[in-house]
Amino acid sequence: MSKLPSLSSVLNAGQRQSLFIGICTFFTAILLLAMVSIVLLIFARGGGYFWPEDIQQLQFVRASDDQPITAYGQYQNQFEQGGEPVRWVVYSHARNPYGNQTLLDDTNLLQARLAPEAARISLRDGRAILGEPLKVTAPSDPDVSLNRLAQRLTQVRQIEQSIAGIRDEQLADIHQKLTELDQRKVGKKAPARLTLNQGFDRWHKRILTLEKQRDAYQLFVRLADQSIVSVALIEVEHLVYPGQLSGWQKLGEALYEVGGFLSESPKQANTAGGVFPALFGTVLMVFLMTIIVTPFGVLAAIYLNEYASNNGLIVVIRIAVSNMAGVPSIVYGVFGLGFFIYGVGGNIDALFFEANLPAPTLGTPGVFWASLTMAILTLPVVIVATEEGLRNVPQGLKAGSYALGATKAETVLYTILPMASPGIMTGVILAIARAAGEVAPLMLVGAVKFAPNLPIDAEFPYLHLERQFMHLGVLIYDGAFHSQTDAKGASMMFAACLLLLVVVFVLNILAVLLRTKLRKRYHKG
Amino acid sequence: MLTLFEREHLDVNNLAEADTAIRVEQLSLRFGSKPVLENISMSIPKHQITALIGQSGCGKSTLISSFNRLNDLHQHCHYSGKVIINGRDINSRKENVAQLRTQVGMVFQRPNPFPMSIFDNVSYGLRLQGINTRRQLDEAVEQALHDAALWNEVKDRLFEPANVLSGGQQQRLVIARALALQPEILLLDEPTSALDPLTTLFIEELMAGLKKRCSIVIVTHNMQQAARVSDYTAFLHQGRLIEYSDSDTLFTTPRKKQTEDYITGRYG
Repeated sequence: MSKLPSLSSVLNAGQRQSLFIGICTFFTAILLLAMVSIVLLIFARGGGYFWPEDIQQLQFVRASDDQPITAYGQYQNQFEQGGEPVRWVVYSHARNPYGNQTLLDDTNLLQARLAPEAARISLRDGRAILGEPLKVTAPSDPDVSLNRLAQRLTQVRQIEQSIAGIRDEQLADIHQKLTELDQRKVGKKAPARLTLNQGFDRWHKRILTLEKQRDAYQLFVRLADQSIVSVALIEVEHLVYPGQLSGWQKLGEALYEVGGFLSESPKQANTAGGVFPALFGTVLMVFLMTIIVTPFGVLAAIYLNEYASNNGLIVVIRIAVSNMAGVPSIVYGVFGLGFFIYGVGGNIDALFFEANLPAPTLGTPGVFWASLTMAILTLPVVIVATEEGLRNVPQGLKAGSYALGATKAETVLYTILPMASPGIMTGVILAIARAAGEVAPLMLVGAVKFAPNLPIDAEFPYLHLERQFMHLGVLIYDGAFHSQTDAKGASMMFAACLLLLVVVFVLNILAVLLRTKLRKRYHKG
Repeated sequence: MLTLFEREHLDVNNLAEADTAIRVEQLSLRFGSKPVLENISMSIPKHQITALIGQSGCGKSTLISSFNRLNDLHQHCHYSGKVIINGRDINSRKENVAQLRTQVGMVFQRPNPFPMSIFDNVSYGLRLQGINTRRQLDEAVEQALHDAALWNEVKDRLFEPANVLSGGQQQRLVIARALALQPEILLLDEPTSALDPLTTLFIEELMAGLKKRCSIVIVTHNMQQAARVSDYTAFLHQGRLIEYSDSDTLFTTPRKKQTEDYITGRYG
């Protein structure tokens, strides 16, 4: 058997070079392709969550019980399964008008037509009905035409507001006074108590009347199988006819949805509604982390770079810092849980909050512990970037500063730090991007699927750092598990992904701009 | 009659205390295990310009840097011997180095203005001294820029970044920065080697004018420059002081063969 000819005997020098270039280009192209497809997928699927899909009138055979069904539905997404095109469909049906969903095989689909007459009626609790609005009723007004929907909506919301007003102002006040009387052990028949009770009854009656009025506002909706359901108008949040919108109007609708997504709380177990608490929690956690990690990282880097002599200990510290960057993040999570929460938090509880034990006050996962853990996780990023920045300060400038009688500290403060600030900024923003996207350690130290309260509210001391919080990454993680059974949840996960991607993009662009600006200021040319 | 045309020279090898700005006594210095200066003793006269010449690597810059302890920035620098300024041995551990450096100003080979405005550059040293009143700073900055012959060029743009100035202007700015502290001694480490001939001339004239205010020590590669501007010249070779006398004598009738070879360009 003859020996294989070697590469150099087959190709001449020029060909070898172009082969090498070709291989490098190939891998770069694959990389580019991967990046583009990530961005495209997230944008398409995440953006699709906001886009008002056309409503169709569908006739299909339900796979579970072979029953034929006529319903208004919206396609969620489409994919291949065993060579057959399959769709997730969300539809409204008489038995449950608030959005069933099913996996629909094309063979089971009997008929589909666009239904411009049908509207998507989003309810306050995050559910939605697909159907044709028929009429809207109001108390003591025979006019039930749909044209007055907007007016009726304002009316019913005004009523709701006055009910809330009475509850908050009048009833709460009376309750408080009654409690005071109870505490002072005033008798049951005392005149003060009777007056209050009368007042309470009067306001209560007023509320009942208003509630009756409110509930008289009803929206009647016809489903595709001609059955009619009614919804209390107060429950209706938004009504849109996707089939009647032009492309631009759909875009406007999508932007409206984006607004809701950014400002509302999650509903229906994180499958509908918005992500505001998660966004807020992420930002707050990252903000606290930045406050903690920046001084730590910068001062440590200054010590390592400017003060420490190059002995064995410093070498060991440097190696340790680089290794810290490679430690799996879950390890930091476990460390945070074991050291900060059970160790530090537990001891603080034992010392200062003994009265509350065994219920923990600080020895429980919360946003502060999470920030602290993430600060430790991102510390190497900041240290390495700061050291890089410090090394780039020209020796001549340091010498110039010393020659003017500056001490080392003054030189660091007035000359070296401003010059190194682009590097420091880079490090901090990289750290922020890392912390914003981290999930695993956060689930151990304070991020939860659903937190009833924001860490900031009007209650003293306003900033509740011991509270658990919601985090975008955790929300996505949660959504990924929903996606097995729930098409809507999956879309929401993609939308949250998109948001996270945008947040990280914006941060990185900010970093680049800031760095260029500072560079221009501190370096010639 | 002849003395009218000749400059009066002090005997630098036997200088009176009152005329001495810096007295170096048996200074040796090494970086790690590499000796750079060996047993140097010399006296630098007050209100004169003293030039240090010699080949690259002969220790000129190291010597000048030991007058304001800037060699301390090197980690492995070890020295012995004394450098006496104002009657104090600045090599002693008790010396307040930051204070010393305000009295002994230094200008480097490459202009190194800080990345700040022209005004902030000149007032940097003053602010470090705790002078913060606007009026004092304004006056001192204007005076220093006048002294460095830069005022007319920058008076309208004091708050622009110093980086926009030309190389020669930057070097004068750096001189102004040192002068703002009113130092007794000004060390110039090859101040014109990065500049063009015309700017060089400008800075040389500046030096002649500054002589009245402080003692100047200049390191230079350029023999003509040393002959032109300096009153006294020291020739260093491989870390040793070979010859030190007034410039006229050194450049016209050097006593040592090595000096003669160097100034006539036979080596170096």
